Formats: sequence, structure tokens, C-alpha cells
Amino acid sequence: MSDWLLLDGARRLLADTCTHDVVQQAEAEGWSPAVWDAVAGAGYSSLADLEPAEALGVLAVAGEHAAPVPVAEAALAGWLLGGSVPAPVSVVPAGELRLERGLLSGTSLHVPWGHAVEHVVAVADGTAVLVPVASAVAVERHTNLAGEPRDSLVFEDAEPRAMREVACNLFERGALTRVALISGALTAMGRLTVSYAAERRQFGRPIASFQAVQQHLVEIAQAASLVAAAADGAARVPDTFEIAAAKVLASSAALTATRAAHQVHGAMGMTQEYRLHHFTRRLWAWRNEYGDEQHWAEILGGAVAGAGADRLYPTITGGSAVV
Amino acid sequence: MLFAPADLTDEELELQREVRGFLAQELPRGTFVPGLGMGAPRDPAFSAKLAQRGWLGMALPARYGGHDRSAVDRFVVTEELLRWGAPVGHHWVADRQTGPVINRFGTEEQKQRFLPAICRGELSFAIGMSEPEAGSDLAAVRTRATPVDGGWVVNGTKVWTSGAHASDWFVVLCRTGESAEDRHAGLSQLIVDLRSEGLTITPIPFLSGHRDFNEVALENVFVPDELVLGTIGGGWAQNTSELAYERGGPERWLSTYLLFEELIRTRAELLGSERAHLMLGDSVARLWGMRRLSLSVARMIDSGEAPAVQSALVKEMATRFEQDLLARVQELVAVEPVGEGDSLFERLLFEAVLSGPSFTVRGGTNEILRSVASKGLGSL
Repeated sequence: MSDWLLLDGARRLLADTCTHDVVQQAEAEGWSPAVWDAVAGAGYSSLADLEPAEALGVLAVAGEHAAPVPVAEAALAGWLLGGSVPAPVSVVPAGELRLERGLLSGTSLHVPWGHAVEHVVAVADGTAVLVPVASAVAVERHTNLAGEPRDSLVFEDAEPRAMREVACNLFERGALTRVALISGALTAMGRLTVSYAAERRQFGRPIASFQAVQQHLVEIAQAASLVAAAADGAARVPDTFEIAAAKVLASSAALTATRAAHQVHGAMGMTQEYRLHHFTRRLWAWRNEYGDEQHWAEILGGAVAGAGADRLYPTITGGSAVV
Repeated sequence: MLFAPADLTDEELELQREVRGFLAQELPRGTFVPGLGMGAPRDPAFSAKLAQRGWLGMALPARYGGHDRSAVDRFVVTEELLRWGAPVGHHWVADRQTGPVINRFGTEEQKQRFLPAICRGELSFAIGMSEPEAGSDLAAVRTRATPVDGGWVVNGTKVWTSGAHASDWFVVLCRTGESAEDRHAGLSQLIVDLRSEGLTITPIPFLSGHRDFNEVALENVFVPDELVLGTIGGGWAQNTSELAYERGGPERWLSTYLLFEELIRTRAELLGSERAHLMLGDSVARLWGMRRLSLSVARMIDSGEAPAVQSALVKEMATRFEQDLLARVQELVAVEPVGEGDSLFERLLFEAVLSGPSFTVRGGTNEILRSVASKGLGSL
């Protein structure tokens, strides 16, 4: 499937299914069978067979529509296990897990849609394991700022269905998925804000005609463009430098652009009935997941300081191939 | 998506290696005084060397001495020159905008007359847009050209004309007609010899005392018909397209880069802290991201698009970053800038502080750029 066909299909499917009410209901109930069935039916529930750049393109579309399903986790699970994984699946981003005699024990935290998926992929002692959620001895439901489930699961001697040496760095790849989601959400938020500013009239004219409001619109467009360029760069070379730089830009843009978008929307932006919060709340949540801008800036800064002045510009142009 | 994705091809990476090799050979660090981005000194001999390598007028047609290469190729060469602090001043305006504009709007005779000399690095151009009463509002220009036998007589005053005293020609935006309804009508562009009779160049020293700006007074300056650029009355559209060449390129995010590099080169003792790592990391991420955006503007030009809105978005954001980077360096290094300082770092710091405000003004103020960009956002 070509890149364009793939993304166009995803865009249409998610635009049709992820309406305001559906996303709202998914947040209230913690799972949306309707969205999941549509996504799974169209083949987006397993992105492991795609090139990273293609998979990340689909994730950007998911972010653009605030899709309330674990597609990022589907991609991530496939990367960790190095192949196809039964869906719906999630990934354990944090917690304390250990493998003893081939059995998984410990606590996993912030698991996206942990209570609703059938399996989770966890990394313990350098090994990626696939375990059924049914084998968890306790499941505690939590949500992130966006109302997306981020559950705690406790395992005691759970028997993995699959196990292999971890195929990639969980934290880096996790950050990469968030960059793509953020990129899509920024695009949608920019579009929504531009159209709101054109429609909303005050003092007898559209607020988009005020220069002070135009500044906000430009700031959002700049954030969205910069992150799209960063996401594209990191998708082509999903390595430490590119991912770190992209997450720095994405997390930091999430903060500045949401502020500008809320300012343009005024009180309307603070309501549940209007769509803005589906994007701003996700941007705030994804900003922190898998490392915020400071986390990654520090890593990047250490690498740059270590590489020295002569390698600085080659690093800016060549990234991980240099540093 | 607003921007085309950007990566360099193998051929473009090879060009990058060539330019790096050339600079290491021709301008080894420590053997010249590097400048800050496009504010770097003029050196006709250096420009001639670039021309010999085929690195001036790269995207101009070969039949006029150019090299039929792409905007991305020019981007690759330009970014390496700027980040090295190479003396690009002599050819800068001609290579970036006057050459392309003459190629696009000029007559066959003008192309043959000017383009080969621009590609050889011989001719230096200045920009004749701003006037005392026409800065951001360029449609307000009052310089007037009146038709006479065989040409035009020009009267008026241009200001902030960088490098006029050291250049050969400038393209003058002037009024050749009037229209009550449309202030953009009746404007034209003329190619004017800076040594013309009746033309007086007076320095307007920078706040640092540095000579760059000039006032150029034109008093009954005769310009022959053959030096009318494009069409009489078409000056506004031509000028707008010329401005597009001024925006979005590497010169908009590299003005303080060398200072940043010198910080890393010479202040290793300051680089171990968490604070330093945060600053270095965030700054490098921004340089990486903005470079990709800027590169994608060049890609869009190569694919025949006119990314005016994208260029404005990039320039507005990137020039603010140039100033931020300076501030970040100063936050990390407690040093009082001293003129003629001992180290390159101190000299660049001194120069960057004093020229910093111009980054977000030259080539269109950030306020104008925001307005240009926001008008285009709805349609993207």
C-alpha cells in the first residue's frame, strides 16, 4: 500500500468514526468498541508490518483525530517483539517488573488501555514478553490528563505467550510514537483554531482580523510545522539523536501551542462541548509521556557537549550518524 | 501537511562534503576572521574562488554562466559557508536574489549582461527598496522615475541600503505611475549603476559605529530603457517575488550559530552541568528542526511551488531563535563583552549583542511576516 493511500484511508476512517461524541464517550467508559472495530477492521490494529515511517504516519493521523484506541501501542508492541502481535495489545511504559524462571512478576504502571486490551508487552531484564491481561492478579484503572486509560497491572508469576530479546529501545520508540501523535494533534488544533478565529466575531469583525490574535495563529502553525518536520526526520532515522531532538521540539511545542490555542478560543475553549480540549488535553498528556522536553534535552546536551565543537554542525545535519 | 519533507540525496551529501573540504582547505580556522552569518565581511577574492567551484549562481541557467542546479544545492553550499563564518558579503545579494530576479524578469540582453558576471563573483548588488517613509509599507515608496527620451530620470532617496558603498549596482523600486484605487499599481524596478551621475551615497553608521547602511540619494539619475527590470507597472509583483528569495533560507537561523560553536570549543569547563546540558540540548534540537523546515522550503521551490507563507513562518520563528540563542549563551557564560576581545568567542559575542536586534527586522519585520503568514493559514 502506498504511503498516500494508507494515510488517506486512515484519515477518512478516523474522521468518520472519531466524532466529538464518540471520543467523549470513550473517555467516560475507558474503551470504544466502535472505534476499535473500525480500526481493526481496516487493518490499523497491527502496524508491525509497516516501515516505521509509514506506521508513524498512521499515528499522526490518529493524533489528528484524538483516536481513543491504542494504535501507538500496537506499533510499539510490534517493534519490541520484532513482529506481529495479537491485537488489541498495549505496552508497559513503566513500573517494576522482573522475570524469574521465565515468569513475569511485579507492577506495571501507566499502561494505556491496560484494562481493555487482551495482551500487554512488557520489557523486563532486557527481554520483551507478551502476557495476557487476564493473567494479571490486579488491575487498577487510572487516566491521563486526556481521559485516556493509563492503568496499573500487577503480575505474579504470569506465563508469557511470547518472549524474545528486546528488539528496540522501549523509551526511545515510545517517545517516537508520542512525537507522531503530538504532530497530528497540533495540526488538528491549528486547523480548528484558524477556523474558529475566522468565524467568531467581536467588535463587529472576525477575531482573526486582529493582529494580536493572528500572532497566536502563527505561533500554532509554526509549532505544528516544526514538529511535523521533526517527526518526519525521526521517522526516517529512528535513532537516539533524531528521537531526542524531535521529542524536545514536540513536547515544548505542545506547551506553547496549546496556550496560544486556548487564548484564541477564550471561554469556549474551556468547555467540554467544544472539541478543542480533545487536542489540548492529549497534548499536555503526551508531552510528559516517555520523557518531557527537559528529559530529552539533557540527554541531547550531554551528547553534544561530549562530541565537541568540530562535530557540532555535522551533528545538526547528520544526527545519529555523527553523534 | 504544510511543509514538504526534506532529506539530502547522496549527490547533495557529496556536495556538502565537497564544500566542507573546500572550506577546511581554503579557510582553515584561525586563519581568517569569521563573521556572523550573512553579516560576514566582503572578500571579492573569496567570492571568485567560490565562482570557480561553480558555487555562485548555482540555480541559474548554464547559458548565462550558471550551473542549472537546484535550490537545495544552493542551500547546501550556503549553509556551510554561513556556519563557517566565511566572507560571503561581496556576492551575497547578487547570488541570493538579484540573479534569480533578473533571470526571471529580465530581458535577454540583461541576462547576458549581468548573470555571467554575477556567476563569476564579479558584480556586487545592493537592495533599493526601503525609503525614509517606506519601510514595512513598501507600497509607499516615493522615489519617482519620469520618462524621458531613451529612458527614465529618477529622483528620490533610498535608506538602509546595506553595502551600497562597496557594491556596483542596485535594483530600485520606484514609482512610475499613479493609481487612485490600487497603491500597488504604478510601481516599477530599475537596475541602477551605483556610480551613476547624480547618485550620492552617504553612510548611516550602525549603532556599533560599523559601516554597512547607507543613504542613497538619486538626483536626476538617468536610467536607460534597457535597464528597466521586467515591466513598467509590474514592480510590486516582482518585488514580492524577490522578497521570497530573502526569506526562509539558512541565513535566518545561523546568525549566532558560530558563537554557540565557540562556546562549546572554548568553555568546556561550563558544559558539564545539568543546566548546560538542557541549554545545549534544546538549542541543538531547534537548530536541527529549523534546518529541516528551511530545507523543505528549498525543496518546495525546486518542485515549482511558491512557499511564501512557509518562508514567512520559518523566518519569523528562526530569527527569534537567533536572538534566543545569543541570550542562552550569555546566561551560561558570565562574561562582559569587550570590543577587540582576546578570543574569537568574545569578539563574536560583542558583535552578536550589537547586531542582534537587526535579525528580526531585516528582510521584513517579524510583525509583517506574521501578518503575511496568518493571511495564508486559512488556505493551507
